[in-house]
Amino acid sequence: MFLEVQHIVKSFGAEKVVKDLSFSLQAKQTLSILGKSGCGKTTMLKTIGGLISPDSGKILLNGVDITETKPEKRNIVYLYQEDLLFPHLNAFENIAFGLRIKKIPEGLIKEKVQHMLHSLELEGQADKMPTQLSGGQRQRVSFGRAISTNPSLLLLDEPFGSLDTGTRQRMQELFKKLTEEFDITSLFVTHDLKEAVLMGNQIGFMQDGVLKVYEDKKDFIQDPQTGVQSEIEFWGGLK
Amino acid sequence: MKIKKPNIGILLFVLVGVVPFAAAFVYALLYSFGVIGVANNGFTFQFWESVLASGTFFTSLRYSFMIALVAVLISVGGALWITLKFREQLEKRFLSFIIYLPLAIPGIVTGFFTFQLFSKGGFFARISHKLGFITEASQFPDLVNDGLAIGIIFSFITMIMPFFVLLFLNVYKNERVEELSILAQSLGASANQITQRVFLPILIKKTWVLIVLYFIFLLGAYEVPLILGQESPQMLSVLIIQEIKQYDLDKISEGYVVAVLYTLIVSIAAIVLFLPKKNRAYAN
Amino acid sequence: MRINWKPFVLSLAVLLILFPFVYLVFLSLASEWRFPDVLPSYIGFKNWVTVFGSETGLLQSFFSSLLISLSVAIFSTTSGFLISKAVFYHPKKRTLTLLAYFPYILAPVVFAACLSFFFLKMGLFGNMTGVVVAQFIIAFPYALLFFSSFWNEKVKSYEDLVATLGGNKWQTYTKVLLPLAKGLLLICFFQTFLISWFEYGLTSIIGIGKVQTLTIKVFLFIKETNYYYGALSCCLLIFPPVVLLYFNKRYVFKKLV
Repeated sequence: MFLEVQHIVKSFGAEKVVKDLSFSLQAKQTLSILGKSGCGKTTMLKTIGGLISPDSGKILLNGVDITETKPEKRNIVYLYQEDLLFPHLNAFENIAFGLRIKKIPEGLIKEKVQHMLHSLELEGQADKMPTQLSGGQRQRVSFGRAISTNPSLLLLDEPFGSLDTGTRQRMQELFKKLTEEFDITSLFVTHDLKEAVLMGNQIGFMQDGVLKVYEDKKDFIQDPQTGVQSEIEFWGGLK
Repeated sequence: MKIKKPNIGILLFVLVGVVPFAAAFVYALLYSFGVIGVANNGFTFQFWESVLASGTFFTSLRYSFMIALVAVLISVGGALWITLKFREQLEKRFLSFIIYLPLAIPGIVTGFFTFQLFSKGGFFARISHKLGFITEASQFPDLVNDGLAIGIIFSFITMIMPFFVLLFLNVYKNERVEELSILAQSLGASANQITQRVFLPILIKKTWVLIVLYFIFLLGAYEVPLILGQESPQMLSVLIIQEIKQYDLDKISEGYVVAVLYTLIVSIAAIVLFLPKKNRAYAN
Repeated sequence: MRINWKPFVLSLAVLLILFPFVYLVFLSLASEWRFPDVLPSYIGFKNWVTVFGSETGLLQSFFSSLLISLSVAIFSTTSGFLISKAVFYHPKKRTLTLLAYFPYILAPVVFAACLSFFFLKMGLFGNMTGVVVAQFIIAFPYALLFFSSFWNEKVKSYEDLVATLGGNKWQTYTKVLLPLAKGLLLICFFQTFLISWFEYGLTSIIGIGKVQTLTIKVFLFIKETNYYYGALSCCLLIFPPVVLLYFNKRYVFKKLV
C-alpha cells in the first residue's frame, strides 16, 4: 500500500479528537471522506501532513515511516478550504512558489507553470494578483501551487466549501481531470454527500473521531449512518 | 509541532519585556522601605508613614487625576463633535492631511509653545497690550504655571484631541456607522436618536479602552507639567522625579514611595483593562 | 435662510493647526523680541546661521538624536516582530500580553528613575548606549503589542502551507512572513522612531545631560530662557515627523486597539 495509517490517536486536552485511526490507500487513488464539521477530519489531515503530531500511532508513506518527519520533508501538501494565495504574489508566482523553494532552474519553472496554467484553464491570468481573480480561479491557482511540486500525497480539506454551486461543479470535474493527468494520490474531505460519492475511488465516513472506510461504494450507500438512504427516500418520496 | 524556538522567544520576551519592569519595581519597593539606599539602615515604615501622613501624594494624585480627566473629557467630547459635524469635509484631500499635522508635535514642544503663547510676556500678552487691555505684563492673567493648570490642560487637549478625531473617523468608517445610521433612519429614527443610539454607543464602545489608556498616559505625563506646572501641587511624574533627585536623602526614599504607589495604580489599571476575559470577543 | 457656519469653523481649525508651525519658525527667526512689542526687532537667519556654525552643538544634537532614534527603531521593530510571534502563538498569550502592558503604561520617566541604579551598575549611565537601551526597553512593548493582530490563524495557515510545500523556517520568513508584514514593519519602524525622537524624561535621567538629544536641548534653552534657539530646536524636532506624514499618514498615526 502507498499510504498506511496505523492506530493514530490525537487528543486536545481531555478531548479525544481522533480515535484509533487506521486505513490505507493505493497510489493514484482518491479516498473521499464524508464527515460533518467537528468530526476530527481536519485534525486527521493535519496529522498526516505533519502539522500536528499524533499522541500515538504510525504513518507510513511508500513503506517509509514518516511519523516523526517534519512537514517540509514529507512531500505531502495540505490544502485549506480557503485558497490562501499569497497576497504579495501574482497567479504565476503563486503557482511557482513551491518550485522556487525547491530551487528548480528558472527555465523549467516557467515551462511547468505555463503548462499548469494551461491545465487549470487559467491562460491569460498569470499576471493577475489574487484580489483580481474570482473565487474559482483562486482555488485553481491554489491547486496548481500544490500539484506543481509533484507531492506524493495531496490532502484536501473541504477545498470547494467556499464556492457557489455552479463553480463547485466545474471544479469537481476539473479536479478529476487533474488527478488523472498528474497521477495524484489524495485524501478528499468533504461534508457534501454527493461530492464524496463523485470524487473518491474509495469512500470513508468519519464520525466522532472514528473513520470507517468502505470496501465498496455500495456498502457506503447501504449504510444508514452515511445518510444516503434517507436522501434516496426524500427524493423518492417526491415522485 | 514540538519546536524549541517559541521557548527562546518567550525567554527573550521575559528578559526584555518583564525583567526591567520587575527590577524597577522591586528596586523602588526596597528603597521605599529603607532596605537599600545610601543613608538607609534597614527595613522601616518611616518613609511610607511620612508620605501618607503629609498628604503630598494624595494631593498630587487628586490634582493629576482631575487634570487628566478634564483634558480627556474635553478632548473626547470635542473630537466626537468634530467627527459628527465635519466628517465629510475632513475626508477631503487637503484637510485629511492637515488634521494629521498635530501628531508631529511632541509634548515638550507643545509645552514650550503654550508657554510662548500664554505667559505674561507671551504672544497673547503682547496682543492684549497692543489692544489696550493691559498696560503691564503682570496684568495678564495667569494662564501658565497657574493654580488651575489651565496651561497644562490646554496643552493636553491640543495633543490628544487630534488623535481622537482621527481615531473616531477611522472607527466610523470601519464599523460602517454611515450604513447603520441610514438603516436606523429607515426604521424611523430622528437625527438626534441616531446620534444617541447609533453614533455615540458604537464609537465609545469601540474606543473606551484607548480613552482610558490615554487618561493613564496623561496621569503620568512629565514634559508638559514640568514646563507649565506650578510649585505645588505637582503632577505625579514631576513630583516623583523631583523627590528622587533631591539632595535630602530622606526625600529620595519618599520619592520611591510615591513611585511605588503610582506604579501600583497604573498596574491595577492595566490589569482591569487588559486582564484576559473570555467574553471579550471584540478585543484584538 | 440658515447660514452655513461649517466653512468658517473649518478655516479657523486649519489656521489653528498651522499656527504653531508658523509661529515656531517665526520665533526661530526672531531675536531681541522685548515685551510689549508685537513684532520682534530682528527677523532673519541669524540664529540659523549660528546654529549651523555649530556654536551651540544643535546640529550635533540633531545627528545624535537621529542615530539614537534609528537604533531604537531598528532594534525594537526587529525584536518586537520576532518575539511577538512566540508570544502571540503561545497558549497563554493573553497573560503575556497583560505583562507587556505594564511597562507600556508606566510613565517612561518614572520607569527610568527606578531603573537608573541598574544602568549605573552596568556602565550605561550618561552615554548613548545607555539611552538607546533605555529607550529600547520602552519602545519594545509597543512594537510587541503592535504586531499582536498580525499573528492570527490565517498567518499560521500560511506558515503551515509553506511547510507542506517544502519550505524551511528561513524561507517561511523571507518568502512569506516578511512580505506579508512589510507594511506593518514599516509603520512600526516609524512609530518606534518617533517614540524615541520625542522622548525627553527618560533620556534626561539615563543620559544625565551628557547625551544631548534635541528634546534635551529644547529644555535646556527653555531653562536658559533662550526662546529663539528653543524654537529653532523645536523646528528641527518637528520637521522629520512632518516629512514622514507627507509620505504616509500611517507612519505617524496607528491606533492601537
